Amino acid sequence: MLSFIGRRLLNYLVMLFAATTLAYFLASSFLNPRSNYVQMRPPPPEASIDASLDFANVNDKMPVVARYGRWLEQVALHWNWGVSPQGESVNGAVAHRALVSVKLVTLATVLAVLLGVSIGVAAAIRQYRLFDRVSNAISVFFLVSPTFVLALLLVLGGIRFNEAIGARWFFVTGLGDAGFLDYLRHIALPTVTLTLVGYVGYHLTQRTYLLDTMNADYVRTARAKGVPKNVAIRRHALRTSLIPTAIGVVWSLTSVITGSVFVETIFAIDGAGKYFVDALTKNDINGSVAIAALGGCATCAGLLLADIVVALLDPRIRVS
Amino acid sequence: MVSTNLLPDAAERARRAGVQRVPKGTLVARRFARNKPAVAGLVIFALLALLALVGPFVARWGYDDLDFGALKQRPSAAHWLGTDIVGADMFALCVRGLGRSLLIGVIASLGITVIAAFVGTAIAYFEGWRERVGMWIVDMLLVIPTFFLLAIMVKGAAGTSGWLWLTAALTIFGWVGYARILRSIALSLREREYIAAARFMGVPSLTILRRHMIPNLGSILIIQTVLGVVYAVQAETGLSFLGFGITPPDTSLGVLIRAGSSTLLTAPWMFLEPAALLLGLSLSMTMVGDGLRDALDPSSASAGRA
Amino acid sequence: MSGAPPERVDRAERYEPGGARDTALHVRDLHVTFASEAGPVRAVRGGAFDVKPGRTLGIVGESGSGKSATALAIMGLLPGTAAVSGSVRLGGRELLGLDDRAMCAVRGRNLAMIFQDPLSALTPVLSIGEQLAEGLDVHQSLTRAAVRARSTELLDLVGIPDPAERLVSYPHQLSGGMRQRVMIAIAIANRPDVIIADEPTTALDVTIQAQVLEVLRAAQRETGAAVVIITHDLGIVAGLADDVLVMYAGRPIELGGADDIFYRPTMPYTMGLLAAVPRPDLDRSRRLVPIEGNPPSLVALPPGCPFAPRCPLAQDRCREAEPPLVAHAASDGHRAACVRGAEIESRDLSWSDVFPVPAAPPSKLASVPREQRKVVLGVENLRRHFALTGGGLLRRRVGTVKAVDGVTFDLREGETLALVGESGCGKTTTLLEIMRLAPPDGGRITILGHDVQALASGAARMGIRSELQIVFQDPLASLDPRLPVYDILAEPLITHGWRAAPVNERIGELMRLVGLDPDHVDRFPEQFSGGQRQRVAIARALALEPKLIVLDEPVSSLDVSIQAGVINLLEDLQAKLGLSYLFVAHNLSVVRHIADRIAVMYLGRIVELGDVERVFTRPSHPYTRALLSAVPIPDPKLERGKARILLSGEQPRAGATIGGCRFRTRCPTYETLADAERARCDRDEPELSRRGVTDVASACHYPS
Repeated sequence: MLSFIGRRLLNYLVMLFAATTLAYFLASSFLNPRSNYVQMRPPPPEASIDASLDFANVNDKMPVVARYGRWLEQVALHWNWGVSPQGESVNGAVAHRALVSVKLVTLATVLAVLLGVSIGVAAAIRQYRLFDRVSNAISVFFLVSPTFVLALLLVLGGIRFNEAIGARWFFVTGLGDAGFLDYLRHIALPTVTLTLVGYVGYHLTQRTYLLDTMNADYVRTARAKGVPKNVAIRRHALRTSLIPTAIGVVWSLTSVITGSVFVETIFAIDGAGKYFVDALTKNDINGSVAIAALGGCATCAGLLLADIVVALLDPRIRVS
Repeated sequence: MVSTNLLPDAAERARRAGVQRVPKGTLVARRFARNKPAVAGLVIFALLALLALVGPFVARWGYDDLDFGALKQRPSAAHWLGTDIVGADMFALCVRGLGRSLLIGVIASLGITVIAAFVGTAIAYFEGWRERVGMWIVDMLLVIPTFFLLAIMVKGAAGTSGWLWLTAALTIFGWVGYARILRSIALSLREREYIAAARFMGVPSLTILRRHMIPNLGSILIIQTVLGVVYAVQAETGLSFLGFGITPPDTSLGVLIRAGSSTLLTAPWMFLEPAALLLGLSLSMTMVGDGLRDALDPSSASAGRA
Repeated sequence: MSGAPPERVDRAERYEPGGARDTALHVRDLHVTFASEAGPVRAVRGGAFDVKPGRTLGIVGESGSGKSATALAIMGLLPGTAAVSGSVRLGGRELLGLDDRAMCAVRGRNLAMIFQDPLSALTPVLSIGEQLAEGLDVHQSLTRAAVRARSTELLDLVGIPDPAERLVSYPHQLSGGMRQRVMIAIAIANRPDVIIADEPTTALDVTIQAQVLEVLRAAQRETGAAVVIITHDLGIVAGLADDVLVMYAGRPIELGGADDIFYRPTMPYTMGLLAAVPRPDLDRSRRLVPIEGNPPSLVALPPGCPFAPRCPLAQDRCREAEPPLVAHAASDGHRAACVRGAEIESRDLSWSDVFPVPAAPPSKLASVPREQRKVVLGVENLRRHFALTGGGLLRRRVGTVKAVDGVTFDLREGETLALVGESGCGKTTTLLEIMRLAPPDGGRITILGHDVQALASGAARMGIRSELQIVFQDPLASLDPRLPVYDILAEPLITHGWRAAPVNERIGELMRLVGLDPDHVDRFPEQFSGGQRQRVAIARALALEPKLIVLDEPVSSLDVSIQAGVINLLEDLQAKLGLSYLFVAHNLSVVRHIADRIAVMYLGRIVELGDVERVFTRPSHPYTRALLSAVPIPDPKLERGKARILLSGEQPRAGATIGGCRFRTRCPTYETLADAERARCDRDEPELSRRGVTDVASACHYPS
């Protein structure tokens, strides 16, 4: 099994590299840092602009491939992701922001998995009954709500709630720095937003997978042995149905990562997502590529985790 | 001499066959009609589409008519949905934004489906190294969240021929996720013996793709297109909300929500109205897509929504 | 049973009835109705039978007869939407109407069931030991050690080697035969009173089937249980069952002892079934008798006997009301649901009196001896090897599967050659290699005189393709469901450049040729029955007037009564059009009937090749002997009296290399050889060669 995981890891690393390269070329083609300077009043002399751009390795007069080479060398050998057009180091800016975002995304994903899988299992067992219909309707609502709409609604709701009880229970900006409880009150609404965005996928897919396995032949065999229906489902169908759910974790993870961009923007949390938006606005090639790579890294981590979980759950992969 | 084996033309044959063959379309329509949420979704969507089409002619104000005497007004008789901070009529703005988002969503979705269909089936059909390389590329493109790549691409071109470029970008990146699903379905189709039979008959590969594989994917493609509209609209509004997609003076639901987010407490209608339209659009299309899935392929694995 | 030498089991004795003992299972008036989009489906309409302890009841029927629904109704495992009524008494205790909890105490303890597909019937994520233990834990409270001991004992009883180690294996690590043995072990774990087996061997190879049926017999001896075996295979019933129940359209239509049913059938359907089934012990001069028409739809049953539309003896009174199941002759044990039953019995009518036997058209080539006919297909030393790859990005080669490893045969004009063998023998791969028209990994393929290697251009290949066509096993999968039949038949013609008018004419011709109504060409495949769909597939293969047709198990997915019609059609077409057939089959009865020559394959090589009659009556290779002895004969006396040669163990895994003769690991003859002789088998791979003057060739150092 270890070699299986190792091979997958290698594959993901190669993919990550290729994807990041793609992102680099994309960013270099479409972002125009020169325009930042050109729009200044009075516009600086061209030589000065060129010098600044060269310093950041984003001069469009240098061929893209050459720039890529320099960038790659810096990243591969020195783990230096470059500087922004304003001269600020990307490494320094991203490091602590990445931690903030990772904490947020991880927490939301874990809650989403727990919530979604539990509801999915319960709904499958009570197929077509009240619980199933109601939970389905609620999930569909969250499925179609864009993250930013949901976030804004929660902001509105939070503020109105605060007004109603006359105290500031929920905070809607920033992360707070006055102890753990304060942190919780700041992070509550953003986490709830991301959890609601993420859990729907798990609910609906887990429900489908469990329904499929519930009607499988081997559950019938278990019942033929005299095992009661609920026990048969729990022992035989549930475990088997968790396998495709584990495989599907990566899709939900991608939504949560994307969602964190909106959540950080709206809740004014200084994380990697917000940094990404700022980087794009400022035509920062190195910064946006770094964040894109971070996002890809998170996805690969999710994929690898899914592979490990599947290998643990599925003897067909573990023992062959 | 006329051969006795000659068959009459199609119309005569159909008459003789006396086949009470209910056209597949009618069967599907009937199953769809029995699904209440799906029908509701269709009605809502029709209303929204109607609003987008007819709205500009019915509104009392143009979307860029600024009424300086009525800034940030609640809904009233003069301005049915109120006004925004510069005095533009919310109704006119919403109608235009809705139309924009809808247009982008539908065109992008169609484009995505077409590309995804061809790429997915081509990958599934051509075995061996071509398939492995193709799948690897698709997986690689999915490693970095699509939204990030979209944002990079669209930001750079904001302002130049706005919405057309955005639509193109959505199409270019949007097909990748669907190609994967289509590929697995096409794979199961490829294992079917009628494909092997055609090959052994000597039918060329491209003809097999066209004649056998793509029509059999038909129902999946239709559902894909409908649900793709939801994806495209949400992607567009998201980008516009962040300031990357559609930018003023052009408007879309995302732009309106962005404007509304800064006046959330003082003028909530500026946020709630476009948000409601967006939710309604997404919800209705999702219902219709689910209804179509149940109607077209009742035995499908994902049929089974309560 | 595992390490011991293969047994010859003489089955001359039969079980004696249990005398005054209670009935183990008593079913009366069983009705099962399902809800469906098209309306209520009455799957079982009046099931009724008794089984005594120690005896075996065989329930026989084709698809739609309701036999599986009966079994599930008895077990209480039907979905909640099914409506069940009637009476099911297990040793005097009524089961219908018990809630799920009460049934749980009965299932697995007094009443056990063995399902058809062992791969899907065992949970993939739990080990064998865990699944066995579950069956024991539900009904008994034993210590862990006791559970393990009992599980090991059970696995040993069903003949699984190394039972203690097998407990920690997972289902996917076992072969099909092993998995089914595990299923039997689970079923008998708590010594049930009744065992129901629903098509337990349908998914297995013939020699494995023989092993598993032997295990089932042993299980019955061990537990003294009553066994209900549900199957469509009359041969299995003949060998296993004391009593037989024949079902049609959800109703029992004949019930009696095995001898009564097989030798003195009363109901015309039973007669027709026995006349339609091909037998491995009768040659092709006996023509198969098809039953016209199709089984009725269970949604809208017309009044009267459901078999009336297809029955040659039908009268008006047959269509008025359904005949009850009553005894017509002296013995009360033999009952038939036919209003003309008394007449049939008194006049002692048999199937030849009831069903018309279709005449065989004369063959153009019958008089030409084989050596003088043209060679249509020549295969010389054909090899096809597959690389076994380990996973990962680069897919390293870890071994080779020699699917076809040196196959040589030829096929002459107007002849039918059957490739037979069990799964993994390479027969389907050989077929596909021939169809590919590409240079093979090794050896030569010559089609109509053209060496495949020499086919340089696409045009040359297209020319051959018009002479070489294929018919697949499952017509539902081989016909595009979105195209009407007209387009399906037109496809080969259009691909080879035919114009619209000739295409139209040819399609009408083809439909008539295969016995279908040309007015139906606008219908879609799903609107035809299984047999009709296969006729469409045959018509498509005939479109370009090929000389050679390759058929991959063309009738194995069809019901017996429909199968006969398609087999007759294939024979008639061959006689009329001078076609040559290359047949791949695992059903040896069909092969005996339709083939002129037979090639028996094992692990990628031909072990015996020759005239069908010779090979069936005097097989020389030990594998052929074992294979033939394993085929069930639908005749109780013959089936029970025949000498059974059971092969030990299983086929070696794909990719394993065996020096010398590849059959020696299972060969019954090998067991009897002296050391010096064995050494030759270990060292030298036997070549296919003729013995004496007969035209049969076999690949064995010590043939008989």
